Amino acid sequence: MPENPIITFENVKKQYEEDVVLKNINLKLERGKFYTLLGPSGCGKTTILNLIAGFTEVTEGTVTINGEKVNDVPPNKRTVNTVFQDYALFPHMNVFENIAFGLRIKKMDTKTIEEKVASVLKMMRLSGYENRAISEMSGGQRQRVAIARALVNEPDVLLLDEPLSALDLKLRTDMQYELRELQQRLGITFVFVTHDQEEALAMSDEIFVMKDGKIVQSGTPVDIYDEPINRYVADFIGESNIVEATMIQDYEISFVGRTFECVDAGIAANERVEVVIRPEDLVLTTPEKGKLTVKVDTQLFRGVHYEIIGYDSEGNEWMVHSTKKATVGEMVGLFFNPEDIHVMRIGETEKEFDARLESYEEE
Amino acid sequence: MKQTKTFYFVPYSIWLLLFVVAPLMLILYQSFFDIQGNFTFANYATYFQSGTYLTMTFNSIFYAFLITLFTLLISYPTAYLLVRTKHKQLWLLLIILPTWINLLLKAYAFIGIFSMNGTVNDFLSFTGIGRQQILFTDMSFLLVASYIEIPFMILPIYNALEEMNPSYLKASNDLGANSWETFRRVIFPLSLNGVKSGVQAVFIPSLSLFMLTRLIGGNRVITLGTAIEQHFLVTENWGMGSTIGVILIIAMFLMMLVTGEKKKKGAVHKK
Amino acid sequence: MTKKNFKWSNLYLLLVFVVLYAPIMYLIFYSFNEGGTMTSFTGFTWDNYAAVFEDTRLMGIVLDTFLVALLASLLATVIGTFGAIGIYYVKKRNTRNTLLSMNNILLVSPDVIIGASFLILFTFIGFRLGFTSVLLSHVAFSIPIVVLMVLPKLQEMNPTMLKAAQDLGATNLQVLTKIVLPAITPGILAGYFMAFTYSLDDFAVTFFVTGNGFSTLAVEIYSRARQGVSLEINALSTLMFLFALILVIGYYFIQQYNMSKKHKQNGKKNTKAVTLL
Repeated sequence: MPENPIITFENVKKQYEEDVVLKNINLKLERGKFYTLLGPSGCGKTTILNLIAGFTEVTEGTVTINGEKVNDVPPNKRTVNTVFQDYALFPHMNVFENIAFGLRIKKMDTKTIEEKVASVLKMMRLSGYENRAISEMSGGQRQRVAIARALVNEPDVLLLDEPLSALDLKLRTDMQYELRELQQRLGITFVFVTHDQEEALAMSDEIFVMKDGKIVQSGTPVDIYDEPINRYVADFIGESNIVEATMIQDYEISFVGRTFECVDAGIAANERVEVVIRPEDLVLTTPEKGKLTVKVDTQLFRGVHYEIIGYDSEGNEWMVHSTKKATVGEMVGLFFNPEDIHVMRIGETEKEFDARLESYEEE
Repeated sequence: MKQTKTFYFVPYSIWLLLFVVAPLMLILYQSFFDIQGNFTFANYATYFQSGTYLTMTFNSIFYAFLITLFTLLISYPTAYLLVRTKHKQLWLLLIILPTWINLLLKAYAFIGIFSMNGTVNDFLSFTGIGRQQILFTDMSFLLVASYIEIPFMILPIYNALEEMNPSYLKASNDLGANSWETFRRVIFPLSLNGVKSGVQAVFIPSLSLFMLTRLIGGNRVITLGTAIEQHFLVTENWGMGSTIGVILIIAMFLMMLVTGEKKKKGAVHKK
Repeated sequence: MTKKNFKWSNLYLLLVFVVLYAPIMYLIFYSFNEGGTMTSFTGFTWDNYAAVFEDTRLMGIVLDTFLVALLASLLATVIGTFGAIGIYYVKKRNTRNTLLSMNNILLVSPDVIIGASFLILFTFIGFRLGFTSVLLSHVAFSIPIVVLMVLPKLQEMNPTMLKAAQDLGATNLQVLTKIVLPAITPGILAGYFMAFTYSLDDFAVTFFVTGNGFSTLAVEIYSRARQGVSLEINALSTLMFLFALILVIGYYFIQQYNMSKKHKQNGKKNTKAVTLL
């Protein structure tokens, strides 16, 4: 655990009149990492951002920045800056003045301001645009101005509120690289809010998956992708096949009428569980060689792969990503490895989940 | 197809020609005739040479300036606070309601309020200042005119403030500005268009409020409007009246130029 | 700290509202005065109201005023609506902007200028001053506001909708009556309403073009007020205030109707419409 976290939330609760938007949130953010709050709209992720920035106050609990309690500190006194979803660039100022805004408030001398703005413009590859009006800038450029305006103040934490959602696909992917690279170069903590799982997986050191004002699971992108704690996370992060299963004993599980070897343990025998197998982990083969047989129902060509949907004898739907083509209506076999089976216990919390993993991984 | 479209346009075009273009041309034309109907430049010569007309114009502009300033000082905070109230649509409607009352009735009320035995003088005498002549003074004209123009100043400013993206305020706060700095650097500059519309909506009519100068100002204040009314309806010197009218129209266009033709944000003065 | 600020700001707003309404309330209060002056209240009476209704000359003028307002707003709405449709169909940007600027001239011109120039116009073409000249003037200065109310509704209309109607076999007239007019009805209603209030409210223009035989309420009040205080005017003001109140409520409902028709987006537009009042 981090010795000197930059931001902590302790038992934070946020309530608007009757409406509870955050329930008992506990967080510790380390310096110099890229964090993502991921979840559908209304899950409370933006509220967490607003609490860090100081735009709203907690109903209960404590928020600290740099070890100091900041519950009552107004936004203009906090060492964090925000990149807003709509950028909120001031329309009556040009690019230079927008970026210089925070420095002017701090009453820096003109020369320092010019130097700082010039260097941040260079970093954001915007040199030469100083005198442009905001209305003359493209969406991607505005985005960079907004980031520059926040970064020029050298914040301890940069907060990004779905900043890529207004950009088109190509630009969005470019900006993902750029943001990740920027964060690593500057070593500043980034807190990024998004509902786009691809964005979250691509950029983050750590992801917090949220639902209904609670953090459901946190971890590295790989952890969350490979070991989703429940159906919600599995569904939210990527495509997945989820079927009901029964634990036979440690390292043995049964579903669709067959028993398979798996890598999970620490679960009581005969417990009802759910199993996730990612579509890209399923390999198309002949019915004889397959661990499962399904009847191909539809097939779509997706460019890098075929997306094949088939149904097994019990009527479960299976999605397969395969570079090989199948024929609609035919029976095919599906092969997978024991480690591709991800077991999820129903109603298990993140704490219990972590404890269980540790218990048998140590053995 | 083409024919139907032109057909729609016939009455409107007639109106444009007859009631917009023709009157403007006619007032310009009339300004070159003297009271006997002879063509002359004398009206303009009189206007620019006699000190009285120039003084009158200067006074009228000065009064309009004061009225605009008063209304702005009262209206800006009002609009600013109004945007932040709950049920602001309802409050806005209440600001608008008095503008639906005929201007003359409101002016008439002040005859009572400002009179020698009126409420204001009752108050002054109560506080020991003693009764004053208020009605028929420059001050009474300024007060009543400002009173009448206040809603027309509030509305465009209100609209400008209301349209402002709230995330600008958040951003400013986030970048370290306190409320005052946010107001000075973000809110006020962004509401400037509303202020301009308001100034436009108040200043020009203030140049022509002849009924107020008659009823409240007791003919002590002569605005451009009073002079025009005087020349047209009392002395029947239409040529001179038109000359002043042309000056007023020029003043109007100058005003529009100064306050900028930036997209009209509502606020055209009610007649 | 915030609580205290809040109080001060409320006090300021309250003060502004008091100032805005004080003169009107003052008028209404003294309309019930027995004493005949607007300075000392001697006793309650309905006499002033009775006097208003017994004053046949005044009642005639009230009727005339409403007749002018109704007719003028109706004509202005018809001409303005077709004008707006015409402007909408003008494809050239410059022509269109010129037309719009010309349209707005009467809106920004001071009343005296409109009054004086119309007076010259009527005299020039030898038109006798009276009911018709007043009516024509009111139609003239109400047209631009109708155009400004209708045009945004036309611009909000989806142009492919017109193509679709034609594609489905509608004639030009059918496109107009079945597609365009229903789409812009809220704008036309608002325009009519505004024209009506413009006409009722006008004093200066009427004052110039009314001649001797004909008078509207505003002109009548002006001439009576110049002679001094008469509580009949107070009673009349009270009645007119009530009428204005009804109009505002009516306008509010038109606004609600527009809102419910096209959701929130129009809310802002309507605030602008209100601004035009």
